[in-house]
Amino acid sequence: MSIEEIIKQFEPVQHNLLNILHALQDRHPQNCLTEQALDETARYLKLTKSSVYGVAKYYTMFSLEPRGRYIIRLCVSPVCELLKANQIMAVLEKNLGIRAGETTSDGLFTLELSECLGQCQEAPSMMVNNEVYNGLGEEEVQRVLVRMRRRKKK
Amino acid sequence: MSKLVNLTIDDKKISAPEGANLLQVAKDNGMAIPHLCYHKKLSPTGACRLCIVKIKGQRGLLASCAVQVSEGMEVTAFDDELEEARKYLLDYLLCEHDESYDGSHPDEFRELIFRYGLDKKENRLFPSIWKELGYPKDESSPVLSYDAAKCIKCFRCIKACDEVQGKNVLSFTNRGIISYIVGGFDKWGESECDGCGECIQLCPTGAIVEKPHRSEIKIENGICRVRTTCPYCGVGCQLELMVRNGKIVRSNGVEGVSPNDGRLCVKGRFGYDYVQHPDRLTTPLIKKDGKFVEASWDEALDLVARKFTEIKETYGRKALAGYASAKTTNEDNYLFMKLVRTVFGNNNVDYCTRLCHASTVTAMLRSLGDGAGSNSIEDYAHSDCMLVTGNNMIETHPVTATYVKYAVQRHGSKIIIIDPRWTPLVKDAHIWLQPRLGTDVALLNGMIRVIISEGLIKKDFIEKRVDGGMKAFESLKALAEKYTPEYVEEVTGVAAPLMEEAARIYAGAERPLIATGMGCSQQVTGTHNVFCLINMMLITGQIGRPGAGLNPPRGQNNVQGVSDVGASPFTYPGYISVEDAENRRRVAGIWGLPFGELDGEKGLSTVEIMQAAYEREIRGMYIMGENPMLTDPNLNHTEEAIKKLEFLVVQDIFHTETTPFADVILPATAFAESEGTYVNSDRRVLRVRKAVDPPGQARQDWEIIAEIAKRMGKPLGNYQHESDIWDEIAQTAPIFAGISYDRLEYHGIQWPCPAKGHPGTATLFEERFNTPNGLGKLHPVEYAGQSEKADKDYPFILNTGRILYQYHSSTMSRRNKSLTDFANEAYVLMHPGDALKYGFSDGQKVHIASRRGEISNIRVQISDGVLQGELFMPFHYSEAPVNRLTRDELDPYSKIAPFKLSAVRVGR
Amino acid sequence: MGEKRILLKNVGVIDPGCIDDAIRAGGYEGLKKALKMEPAMVIGELTEAGLRGRGGAGFSTGMKQKFTSESCLKCPQRYVVVNADEGEPGTFKDRVIMEQDPHLYLEGTIIAAYAIQATKGFIYIRGEYHESIRKTEKAIKDARKKGFLGKNIMGSGFDFDVGIKLGAGSYLCGEELTMLESLEGKRGHPRIKPPFPAEKGVFGMPTLVNNVETLANLPRIIAHGKDWYRKLGTERSPGTKIFTISGQVAKPGYYELPMGVTLQELIDLAGGMRDGKAFKAALLGGAAGTFVDATMLSERMTYDNLREKGATLGSGAVIVMAEGDAVLDILHNCLRFFKHESCGKCVPCRVGTTQLVKKADQLRNGQPGKAALLKQMVREAEIMASTSLCPLGQSPVLPLESFARYFKEVK
Repeated sequence: MSIEEIIKQFEPVQHNLLNILHALQDRHPQNCLTEQALDETARYLKLTKSSVYGVAKYYTMFSLEPRGRYIIRLCVSPVCELLKANQIMAVLEKNLGIRAGETTSDGLFTLELSECLGQCQEAPSMMVNNEVYNGLGEEEVQRVLVRMRRRKKK
Repeated sequence: MSKLVNLTIDDKKISAPEGANLLQVAKDNGMAIPHLCYHKKLSPTGACRLCIVKIKGQRGLLASCAVQVSEGMEVTAFDDELEEARKYLLDYLLCEHDESYDGSHPDEFRELIFRYGLDKKENRLFPSIWKELGYPKDESSPVLSYDAAKCIKCFRCIKACDEVQGKNVLSFTNRGIISYIVGGFDKWGESECDGCGECIQLCPTGAIVEKPHRSEIKIENGICRVRTTCPYCGVGCQLELMVRNGKIVRSNGVEGVSPNDGRLCVKGRFGYDYVQHPDRLTTPLIKKDGKFVEASWDEALDLVARKFTEIKETYGRKALAGYASAKTTNEDNYLFMKLVRTVFGNNNVDYCTRLCHASTVTAMLRSLGDGAGSNSIEDYAHSDCMLVTGNNMIETHPVTATYVKYAVQRHGSKIIIIDPRWTPLVKDAHIWLQPRLGTDVALLNGMIRVIISEGLIKKDFIEKRVDGGMKAFESLKALAEKYTPEYVEEVTGVAAPLMEEAARIYAGAERPLIATGMGCSQQVTGTHNVFCLINMMLITGQIGRPGAGLNPPRGQNNVQGVSDVGASPFTYPGYISVEDAENRRRVAGIWGLPFGELDGEKGLSTVEIMQAAYEREIRGMYIMGENPMLTDPNLNHTEEAIKKLEFLVVQDIFHTETTPFADVILPATAFAESEGTYVNSDRRVLRVRKAVDPPGQARQDWEIIAEIAKRMGKPLGNYQHESDIWDEIAQTAPIFAGISYDRLEYHGIQWPCPAKGHPGTATLFEERFNTPNGLGKLHPVEYAGQSEKADKDYPFILNTGRILYQYHSSTMSRRNKSLTDFANEAYVLMHPGDALKYGFSDGQKVHIASRRGEISNIRVQISDGVLQGELFMPFHYSEAPVNRLTRDELDPYSKIAPFKLSAVRVGR
Repeated sequence: MGEKRILLKNVGVIDPGCIDDAIRAGGYEGLKKALKMEPAMVIGELTEAGLRGRGGAGFSTGMKQKFTSESCLKCPQRYVVVNADEGEPGTFKDRVIMEQDPHLYLEGTIIAAYAIQATKGFIYIRGEYHESIRKTEKAIKDARKKGFLGKNIMGSGFDFDVGIKLGAGSYLCGEELTMLESLEGKRGHPRIKPPFPAEKGVFGMPTLVNNVETLANLPRIIAHGKDWYRKLGTERSPGTKIFTISGQVAKPGYYELPMGVTLQELIDLAGGMRDGKAFKAALLGGAAGTFVDATMLSERMTYDNLREKGATLGSGAVIVMAEGDAVLDILHNCLRFFKHESCGKCVPCRVGTTQLVKKADQLRNGQPGKAALLKQMVREAEIMASTSLCPLGQSPVLPLESFARYFKEVK
């Protein structure tokens, strides 16, 4: 789907801006918003560039930098911290060879921190794109990563 | 007026209008509650929190900028708790802030730092952290720099851009402590920013500062501030020039004063450098053997006087003519006019108004009795419907446009645009009607028919205020009958439902304003176009109250004033006909001349003067501050005419396209070197003041004129100061009778102002029209096809116009780096369909030819902003003199030329 | 005290993706009944039922509806906005409703719209709640098909429809005025209050903003009546509350209980402490909440009682810490959270949250003079609370002050 086709699914009103940015980002192979996408959105909604840019830069789910195919968002809420999210972080960093905010060189994973994901009944938690993984231990994390890598090969 | 309420602030009893802003009320009553994010012109933000107060009966501390005063309110503005909190807040701000200060700008935050003793490091609680936050600087704009480390994130720039200028170019990036201001995608220079600098003016800390002259400005020493009026378009913005070492280093808008209330456009803020440009004419020049050589004033003036006298004696008094100037003051033009009438002895005086709004003025004079805008510029802010026809106001009258956008963006008012070409205001428009060039009469008659057939006329207005009442209306109705939506669509290309909706909105509005521009006036049918607008306005009763009327924004700073003071072949000062013997007798008395010396026959108009020169009926000409060799239509013909003159004097501040043809060139002063007045588009007489000395031997125009008259043996009068001239103007022109310089010190006054105590007139025609019988007159007119049409040889219709960054023949605007950095090249807009059809590509250089001439090396810009078959070119650029293509076939009523419509062909 | 599920009664019982299942379980009965009542009667019923907003502030839901319906009679439009931007750490009650019984709160939304005669509404869901978004989308689609949304709902002549707006990672957008900014497609900067949403909300029109849990109460109250409802909970806090308890308990999760349960009872219900550890502290109401120690275990958790004791109920989040847990780390986490979520609009919050984290770093680094440092932090947080524009900057004082009160581990 082209940027134009994605945008045109929405009515050209400013209050659709966040929904449009989500749609554009979700359909981008690198999970990000390109300058072209922002530019076309601004023109479609009759907004200035900065009105769109400022919104894209405000909300943490949006990224203007290219990211991995899978975005891992590890919850760092007080609950997850209490239940050793830091250990999960160590496992992720070691396995992926990157720090939070970075993308693996194969372009597969981006590791991010998230505020409370609202999964506190089974902390610690993380999301990989739109899927939630709860009650994480080292093994679970390794399993998820293996599964994601395998998906890529398919 | 809302009712007054009583409140106390720190036990001080105060009364204020109910609902007024508490912080503003406190400020107005001399209470120095600190604040940074609040500005009178902007909606409250509540970001800096410094203006916190306590209000009895309400919990906690409240930001006074967000409180409306009410009866009995008891406010504490200063106590230990509040002052401690304020100190904390300032301390917080300080730690994220680069304190260095180069003295080039006012710094409200710095003042507060000193006031709260935080300049002393030992009084601070928080370690400085700004260096670790990675704040960037943005230097990408041609005119300003932004330094995030100096920014206190008060939102004033964002709101200045959005709420005041209606542009909304700025936003924040990031969030929290690492947020900062951005234009575009974090690159100001690539944003939609047009450089008006409203953000600079409202920035409290110098985070946003102009680039030009920054290093020269130390606001605390050696700076003079001079209040004057902008030299560019006819809005008449009030400026404060900052002068250091005899040089202008900054221009700001004056807050709290009409018409601009601090607003400026890019030209007003950054367009002053031409004044101090090395190209300025500094000494009189006399052409000897085809070359200009420097001369003394005596030598030059004697020569001018001798030659003019010789021509008059040889060919008779009708052989001389003069072009007055819309750029110089009323006083200059008044004396110029007086020289032509009393020394030359004829009425051959005209100026560029003939090329811009002559048709509008003609139609308005015939129908309404006054040729000037009927309302105040600020009225746009409260209008509910604005019909903008042939008027690219965002580019040509940018500050007027801010009021128009305000009405739309803040009150939901509706703009209806009639323009064959896309203009930036279309973004804010409710309806854009895009008629084919030259079909306005058909379109407007169509709208009139809709109004009549749907019963939207105001019968009682027609009966009471229109000459001939319903009977006159019936003849308009009969004429309009054939302009059915279908027929109009066929002629104009405008979809019938759009045209119908536009008519309904206009007729049904409470306060509709018509803003008509060059697109409407610069046609062979210019006067007819405006007649149609007036017909529509009269039958709907949409004139004669604040916010309702017809307003032609004037293109140059003093177009209005030059007509007002009588530099016209047809009218004396105050729009009294030259044929009016009684008035001539009265004026002869004021001038101390025998009545018989004043010519009672109309003189020649601008283009007619050139045509007469061509016919050798005019032999000598005096041109003050005009550049006909770029701005007259059918330039090739103008050139031949001007070459036939025996003697030509050009008085200007630069060499222009016209000066090479002169025999004598006289160096005059620029606006910042002159004293006097201008009249802006809403009839407001505004003071112009001298800020710097003229270069070399340059002299103010009126002094030169007076010298020539004296040397021709007919002195104009004994004037010591510009105010002496003005007082004479006020005597001769009844519309100015009550205005004197002492009344213009701070605010302008809108004419008519018939007596000393009269406040001036904001709205014309409230009780009666200015016609002899006080009634408005309908002029039903039929649509007629254009004599010049596209054909096989010349398949395009070319339209011409202006752009934001250049002005008139660009002699002034092009000598400002700030402006040329934005735009400095001619182009021709072409529809993508035509580009495809004829095989042109974007950026390609072409030549363009009409039946009258050709120009070459013009860059094609492909744009769907023009209709297929139509082109557009700006006229400012001397290397792309588009008027070599235009026609001098004139509108029979007003003698205006059709700059907007020429058949051309485009070649590689 | 055992669970009393009135809001969550269908959870785990019905298929949340199947509207017929929901209808069989009594779904849309409340709406049917409401549509037969005068709108003012609906408002009256809710007011008298004593329902208080479950978003944290505890304001009377009926009164809020009344203000919204009366604030601007000539305004062309009124809106209902559902606050589904659940972001308070430790809170997931709205997610449970949205994922497990989306028709319940959708029904509540339609009833609220009817009560204030709004024809348009928005559900603002945080972008991370993918499953909630999916379930709500489906519920809206199915409700439209059944005629519960759209024109002339169930033949009543009342029109209403609702759209989903996505958040994108901003806790502050859970604050109602900031949410309206975000919903309009702008950055999440809070607006000045007043005007309140009831007067000028989304697009400048009167707007009713309610939390998901609050709205989930509406169908039940209308269906069973105010008297039935008032029998639950306490006199001033009728009804039930969904608590989400997490951390060092054996069975963390969501528990719906009548208002007035004690902290000890809640912990017991959650299976007691994890691995038999000893209770050390709880953080009530999330990051914008208060720490309590064991002395508070037997206090009744109602809005008013907790407020009197210097604690908060807030969103109903209860994060339990055990002996051996560093409460200071949790405090640090909360302060870091506020810094991350501060929008940057007002000075005290933008800079104050940053300065607090700097000091909290020092607290953890074990330098001497920490008691004085903590005292200074509380003072700063108090200044922030009294000067900040919106609740975010007013929040850090809550965990900070309560921490300083109960825990002397910082000396």
